[in-house]
Amino acid sequence: MQAIEFAWLIPIFPLIAGLIIGLIGSRLKEGGGYVAIAGSAISLIITAFVVAQVLDGSFDAADGVIDGVFEQSRSWLILSDTYSFEVGIYIDQLTALMLVVVSLVSTLVIIYSIAYMGEEGGRKRRYYTEISLFVGVMLGLVLANNYLELFIFWELVGLCSYLLIGFWYHKPSAASAAKKAFIVTRVGDIMFMVGLIILFTTFKTLNFRELFEMEVSGSDLGLLTIGTFMIFGGAIGKSAQFPLHDWLPDAMEGPTTVSALIHAATMVKAGVYLVARSFPLFVQTPDTLMVVAIIGGVTAFMAATMALNNPNIKRVLAYSTISQLGYMMLALGAGGYLFYYMHGAEGYTASMFHLMNHAFFKALLFLCAGSVIHAVNTEDMRLMGGLGKKMKITSFTMLIGALSISGIPPFSGFWSKDEVLATVFEACELNWVFALLYILGIATAFMTAFYMFRLWFMTFAGEEGEASSHAHESPKIMTIPLILLALLAAGSFLVLFVGGGFGSQIFFEEPHALTASEILAVTFTDPLTYLSIAVALCGVGMAYATYYKRTISPEIFVSTKARRTLYNILLNRYGFAVGYNAFAEKVVYGFAIVVDAFDRYVIDGIVNGVAFLLTRAGHYIRKIQTGYVQLYATIIIAAISVIIVLLYLIGGLR
Amino acid sequence: MPLEYFLALAAILFVIGAYGVLTKRNAIVVLMSIELMLNAANINFVAFSSFYNDVKGQIFALFSIAVAAAEVAVGLAILLALSKARDTINLDEINLLRW
Repeated sequence: MQAIEFAWLIPIFPLIAGLIIGLIGSRLKEGGGYVAIAGSAISLIITAFVVAQVLDGSFDAADGVIDGVFEQSRSWLILSDTYSFEVGIYIDQLTALMLVVVSLVSTLVIIYSIAYMGEEGGRKRRYYTEISLFVGVMLGLVLANNYLELFIFWELVGLCSYLLIGFWYHKPSAASAAKKAFIVTRVGDIMFMVGLIILFTTFKTLNFRELFEMEVSGSDLGLLTIGTFMIFGGAIGKSAQFPLHDWLPDAMEGPTTVSALIHAATMVKAGVYLVARSFPLFVQTPDTLMVVAIIGGVTAFMAATMALNNPNIKRVLAYSTISQLGYMMLALGAGGYLFYYMHGAEGYTASMFHLMNHAFFKALLFLCAGSVIHAVNTEDMRLMGGLGKKMKITSFTMLIGALSISGIPPFSGFWSKDEVLATVFEACELNWVFALLYILGIATAFMTAFYMFRLWFMTFAGEEGEASSHAHESPKIMTIPLILLALLAAGSFLVLFVGGGFGSQIFFEEPHALTASEILAVTFTDPLTYLSIAVALCGVGMAYATYYKRTISPEIFVSTKARRTLYNILLNRYGFAVGYNAFAEKVVYGFAIVVDAFDRYVIDGIVNGVAFLLTRAGHYIRKIQTGYVQLYATIIIAAISVIIVLLYLIGGLR
Repeated sequence: MPLEYFLALAAILFVIGAYGVLTKRNAIVVLMSIELMLNAANINFVAFSSFYNDVKGQIFALFSIAVAAAEVAVGLAILLALSKARDTINLDEINLLRW
């Protein structure tokens, strides 16, 4: 027996933990918090064994491995001899990566929750139930071996995020944020479902391996393009890509730990994972890839601009997540485009590498923000400041996170962001659109460095703010996960150099293995690398000058009317929140009114009209019923006579 | 004598009976007209029976006469009850089946 054959247990343990906490959590210590940790930690341990086997190659010897993919499955819904759905697991390098990210980050977040949610009292049971379910279904999503199974877990992830964002449902803002997250992502989910129906009717299967091995051409290729585009629609909703991004900043109404989980390991990563998982389908359709890249680039840029001036510490981080997810989509789109024209699969690797690094540094940043919020009881950065002296561990770990996301070497964010930008630049040769996207990417890198350090300086440096006076460092159970995550955020790039390198483990179709010295040489001989470093340093420097040295006054950004307008546009998220409401009110409600009128007057009109006609007709026809037996007999005899005469004429009697 | 004579006689009797059933107001006359139609059928039975040397037709004629007697008994009883209840046996005034 090999470890990998027990991989199906990975999502089971958190789900069982969730069940236990849900049933008897109120009688357990910490509302079942330790059970939740245990469930997640057991998953992490099994994951470690499974991943070790994937990495050391003994995986290939296991039963059920075909073409470097481990698959176990059972028939589930048998529709006919040729149509059936199955339930099973599918493990390749991508699954292994996601398993590590999800179970590791979740375990740390749940440990951190023990202190962060410690004062919630009776609500803790609900919190730990939901969070265990969340982790379990996300692991299930990652392991699914077909689109239908993935879709089921996809919806469950949406449900869990709804429950957790609305954790403080007595606050109207939290309740409406939860609703918004659910409804906006549902728009994407419907597209996803349409995509699946197209794939199923075209190719008669939803199994990943069978779909990936399809030979597609002719009209099927057109359907595949629509299908992959629709699937990407699902990813747009889940990963909060433009134009369905607006729910994610609102989702900050949930507890900070939930935000960390949603942003680092679960919900929004599901969208990127979906595109990465479907990559063999996407690379056959350059049109879809172009859309993916453009949506990614635009999202990265737009979200970064909105983070520039937001005063809420968690919302800045939320925009930064959207922006980084845009980077991942951009890398997938550009990388797929390159792959389509036979340029290798670096884009795919870059995206997954960035996904992994982002999971670590974004979890770190959110948990640090949580630690700060825990200490000062506000999310408004204007009331903070000077926390660096009082919260040394938090400020230092957050600095590492900020350096990492800003792309300052040697922190891990630098390596992956550089790979993303390099991929996009390489794609410029093929299509000029990518040149624009590269510029957006570079601009985003600058803004990322700026807003992250704006956040850091406003929170930790300078004079003490109003809310800072009673702040003190968080308890050990919160700082230890911070330190572990800081180590990961700083050092996860080392996987580039371990063994055959990251590229040899996460690849699509062809390994792209470089030795350590080759990686260093490729990275540091490229002038583009220095461009992105310079841009990042500029961003940091500008934040330093503005929010620490105050040589540039932040007020300069709102000094003239035009700038003030721009400032307000950014603060109002380009009017997207208002736009959604206006859309809902004018278009959707208007449409509903039309539909209602159609129902009332046309459908009901037809039904009532038919009934009216029948009653009127009955009114007249009943006059025939005179009640005179002789009349009836006359009619019968006359009719029979006519029938006999007719039969005689047509010869039926002969 | 050819069969057609009997059939013609039966047809004439039947039509007279049918005419009576359809047009007469008096229920007793209607019952009598029904007897005429039944007897027209009986003539057919007996005529075919004799023509084909088959006794079944005559047996059917006997059945039909018995049933007709029973029917008249029931019919007269109904008319008796009706005249007691409504004081009439005019069919134009009896339209209970009406809407």
